[in-house]
Formats: sequence, structure tokens, C-alpha cells
Amino acid sequence: MQDERKHGCPWFKGRRTFLGAALAAVAIFNAPALYAQQGVTSNEIVIGALGPLTGPFAFIGAPGRDGMALAIDKINEAGGLNGRKLKLVFEHANTPAESVAAAKKLVEESKVFALVLASGSTGAAAAADYVRAAKIPTYNIFGATPIIRTPFAKNIFHSAIPGAEASGKSMIDEVFRAVPNAKKIGVLAGTYAFPQSHLKAIREQLATRPGVEVVVEQFDAASREFTAQLLSFSRQKVEAVMVLGSFTEAGFAIKQAPEKGLPASMTWVLDASGVNDAIVAIVGGENTKHLHGYYNIPYFPTQVNDAPMAGFRKLWIAKHGNPPEGRPNLYDMVGYGATYVLGQAIKNAGPNLTWDSLIASWEKLSEAKPSALGGFDVIYPETFSATDRQGGRRLGSAMIVDGKWKVVR
Amino acid sequence: MSELLMVIIGGLASGAVYSLVAIGIVVIHKATKTVNFAHGGFVLLGAFAAYLVVVKLQWTYWAAYLIVPVLIGGLATGVELAILRPLRKADLFTVITATIFIGIGLSEIYRLSYNTEILAMPKPIAGAPFFFGDVILTRGQLWVAAGALTAGFVGLLVFSHATIGRSMRAMASNVRGATLCGYSVDRVYAIAWFVGGALAGLAGVFAGPSKGISPDLAVAMITAGFVAAVIGGFDSLRGALLGGLLLGLAETFAAAYVSSAMKSAISFLLLFVVLLWRPDGLFSEAKVRDV
Repeated sequence: MQDERKHGCPWFKGRRTFLGAALAAVAIFNAPALYAQQGVTSNEIVIGALGPLTGPFAFIGAPGRDGMALAIDKINEAGGLNGRKLKLVFEHANTPAESVAAAKKLVEESKVFALVLASGSTGAAAAADYVRAAKIPTYNIFGATPIIRTPFAKNIFHSAIPGAEASGKSMIDEVFRAVPNAKKIGVLAGTYAFPQSHLKAIREQLATRPGVEVVVEQFDAASREFTAQLLSFSRQKVEAVMVLGSFTEAGFAIKQAPEKGLPASMTWVLDASGVNDAIVAIVGGENTKHLHGYYNIPYFPTQVNDAPMAGFRKLWIAKHGNPPEGRPNLYDMVGYGATYVLGQAIKNAGPNLTWDSLIASWEKLSEAKPSALGGFDVIYPETFSATDRQGGRRLGSAMIVDGKWKVVR
Repeated sequence: MSELLMVIIGGLASGAVYSLVAIGIVVIHKATKTVNFAHGGFVLLGAFAAYLVVVKLQWTYWAAYLIVPVLIGGLATGVELAILRPLRKADLFTVITATIFIGIGLSEIYRLSYNTEILAMPKPIAGAPFFFGDVILTRGQLWVAAGALTAGFVGLLVFSHATIGRSMRAMASNVRGATLCGYSVDRVYAIAWFVGGALAGLAGVFAGPSKGISPDLAVAMITAGFVAAVIGGFDSLRGALLGGLLLGLAETFAAAYVSSAMKSAISFLLLFVVLLWRPDGLFSEAKVRDV
């Protein structure tokens, strides 16, 4: 020991050696902070996503994937984020069990840095517990379910599809915009999950309006016959009807309404599932004047005369070819826009990218939109805070113009 | 009172289509002892064929009423000839499994040939509805109820009185006896499948405008048709006719006066009550003898 003191530590024999050792130590101790986070290397960030690519809900997951891929291509072409390129790993998941398995695989085997839930409410609800426990930064871009929203989780953010409270409020606003002094409102709700959560939110909000009476009638999924429900609305002389269900269910109810004594001028307010151009063929073009709805993004996919939509569509066709009927749809656009919002959060987190730094940067995003990184603004800007993870709250007001839905406000 | 009448009219219009579907199922079952789970698929293709005739070819509904039953009847005969005839000596389970997957296959034919969520058809009869006080009666409702019921009655009369009906009744009564009397099993089975398929096709033409055309239609029609057939008695054409009407009325009454959310539940409750109370159905033609 004495000898060591006299001669110094063999590692620190000279100034040059000391400097070299110090630099090595800095490199060693800084390396984990720079690259130890899973899914992040010096030149790449791996984003995992899951959603249904086949089956009845493929209209959600496949467009979600395609929209995300479109945004990632453009971000990478522009040089990536802080020098790193994005890489997308997408897992097919249809059922709740597949959604949990896909989330686990992406986090534990593929070691992705952030997870995007590009499934509907069912997949998001199924994966909720796992992503909460895993603490991985997660972006729920399509699920409206309250299960992914409550209890609050610091690592879970939500995109353009808000919870039932916000969309329910939007529908109520549409009713009172069309019939300002409505005192009796009909609600025609499907008996399945999403319409029921919507119904609960709408009932609670209407209960706070003095003098407004609500008449609720329900129907099973895929119903086509609404005699009893419409007669009830007719008997109780409702002034407007909100339909919580698909466009086919809403379409057949509206088509049958005049036969059951409801006036042709009745105001109908549809939820986002009903806001689909195919409803026009069901109800007949002449019966669409009093149809209202809300939409989660500022443009309906067919509004190709508006600049952002025209640009987005051109981009979509360049990558995916001529679109089949119904594409690109809402989920293409939300997938695209949400990826830019995530990109903005990653960029703001700086080069020292960890889950904590991403979450910290994400919750500070204000009015984040694709154009900030050179994309097309096909979603409403998203704002987050330390206590609020719902980025998109705004909903557009939609009507049918010349046989096609259009976001008018 | 006017609301009650409108509930009854709505129930009868739905029930008439259920009756037509149920009669088709019972015709095939009576003559060939085959429980045809593919029947919903034939109804779906009937509706789709009507769409092609009326919307794509722009022909009148009359053309659809005449052409579609023949087409779907021919298709059903082809299915019997190509798939079910080789399975005739197989056990019941095999045949039922085959019809289930034939039904799925028929729905897939539609899905693959027209990949869209739903196809809408125009009303079969245009014009203002009739008003009787507060009661509103549309021409479409009248047409569907009267047309489907008339077609059902014709099917019933053919089976009960016509020469081809006699061969099917003979086969239903006793296959060996009918064969000994000179009836050809192959021919009678083919006729039964043709008649059953034609009725399914016609049910599709009636159902298409009011329900739209999607794979859901096959499931909805086979479910309602089976419930109606079981309620009426699986061996009774008259029972199938009345069972369909009863089911349509029960569904609409339940939705109107119990709970709109209970519509399907009430119809299945009715099915279980009938099965427990009268397992042979309300209008069974089976004769019970004490020996």
C-alpha cells in the first residue's frame, strides 16, 4: 500500500494515462444513458404497433399500419429524428388474447422503444393492464374505451379518438345546434359495448340540462328492423334522435322512420360509426338533409379538394398504389397524423432518449401537428399535460353535402 | 290503438319473410330428412342476385321475382347433386356439418365477389303510404307481407296437392315405400332442393330492400327461419308459415311493449318455451298413437 502511494496507482502513472482513463470512464458511464434504452441505437428507434390486419376489424388495423408507414417513410427521408431513423414493427392482433400476446412480444422480444395500439377499443382494453405494468410509452390511437384511460397511467397517451364523454358532448352540441330549444330527445342505442358507453355518457350529460327529457330505445347489433323503437319516438314526439350504432343500423332506422310516423324533417345525429358515405345509398339521397354527425379529424377522406387531404392522398397513392373502395379512411389519417405527433415527442426528448425523457417531452407537447415535421395536417392538433394524456379533443361537425359527408366546422 | 296496429303490421311484414325462409327449410327437411344450415346462404345469394338484376342490370323487380328463384333453386339442386348426394349414406352429423360449411361457402362467394360492407336496394314499390287515421301503411310493407305470404301459400299448395308435391310427401312418409311405388329418390331429392332453394331465393328478393345485403343477412335469416320452423313444427309447412308470423309478431311486440333491448332475447325465450311445452312445435303434423 505504501509502495502504491509512493509510486501512485499503476493506472495513473502519467497525465496522459490519467486523461485517457478519464475519457474511457466518461464513455463507459455515458454509454448506457445514450444507448441502453431498449429499441434505441445510435442510428435507429424501433416503434412497435399492433392491430387487426385481417378479419372484421381489418378496416381499423391495416389502415393504421399503412398510415404509420407513410409518416415514418417521410420522417426518415427528411433525415430522421435527432439523427436516428424510425423503424416500424407491426404485429397482427385481432382478439383480446392476441392483443396481449402481441404487446408482450413487441416489448419483450422485439424490444421496441415505444408501443402504438392501432387496434379498436377491444384490443386497447385487452392490452391496458400489460402496458400499464410494463411502463413502456404507449400511444393509444384508436381505442375509445375507458379501460385504457382509467386509472390514469403516466406512460399511456391517447390520440384523435377521445373517450365517450367528449364524443357524447359533441353529439349533444349537434342536437342543440340543429334544434336549439329541444325538450325531448330520442337516443337509439346499440346494445353492444361502444354504443352503451356512449349512451351512459350522453345520459349523464343530458341529465344536467334542466327541462330536457331523454327517450332511450335500444337495438341488437346488425339490426335492420326498428318498428318498435321508431313508434316509441313517434308516440313521445321526440324532436331529434341520436343514433349510437353503425351506419347500416342508423341508415335502416332513418329509412323506416317516416313509415312509423316520424316527420321527414326530423333531426338525426349520428356517431362517428354512422358518418360513412355508404349511408346515403341506404336512406336515399333525398333524405340526407337533416343528418348530422361528428368526425374525429378535420377532413372526411373524400374531401380531396382541401389542400392537406389532397397532399395526403397523393402521398398515400404513391406508396400504396390506387386505393380500394373506402381507402384511405379515418384510420389511415389518424395513423399518419399520430405518428408525426409521436415523432415530435421523440425529437423534443433530444438525443438522450429514454422512456422517462420521452414521457417528459410528450406531456409538454402543445398543439402538436404533422406540419411541424413537414407532414400534412390531416388530424386536429394534439395537446398533452402532466395530468391529461388525451391529445385530441376537438371533433368536427359533419353533414352530407352533394351526397357525401363533409366536415363543415 | 293506431300504434298497436302499426306494431302488428311491422311484425307481420318481418314475419312473412321469416315464414318464407322457414317453409323452404321445412320442404327440404320433409322430403330429404336433411337439416339445411346452408339455407341462409341461399337467401343471401337470392338477395344479391336481385341486386344484380335490379340495380346493375336496371331491370324491374318483376324480373327479379321471376329469375332469382329459378337461379337459386338451380344452385341448390347443383349443391345437392355435387356435394350432398355423395354424402347421402353418411351419418346425420356429417351431412349437417356439410350444410354448415356450404352455408359459409355461399356467404364467401358473395363476400369475394362484392367486397363491400353493405349493398342497398331501392324500394320495390314507390309511392306515398296509405293513411288510415294515425295508422301508416306503406306500399313496401304491404307488398312484402302479401307477396311473401302468397309465395309461402303457393309453396304449401305445391307440396300438398301438386304431382311433384305428392312425390316429396311420399318420400317424407317412407323412403322405401316411395321407392317401391316407383318414385326416384334422386329425382325427388333434386326437386325438393330446387323448391327449397327457390323459396330461399324469393325470400332474398323480399328481404334485400328492407334489410340490405351483407353476410349478416345469411345469419339473420337462417336464425329466424330455424326458430320459426321449430316453433311451428319442423315437419309442418303450415306450422312454418304460422311460426314465421308468430316470431315476427313476438319480436316486434317484445321490442314495443317489453324492452327494445329484449327483442332477440324474447324470440329465443319463445323458442325454449315451445320446445319445453310442445317439443314437436305448435302445429306439428306428427301423429301420436297410444299403443
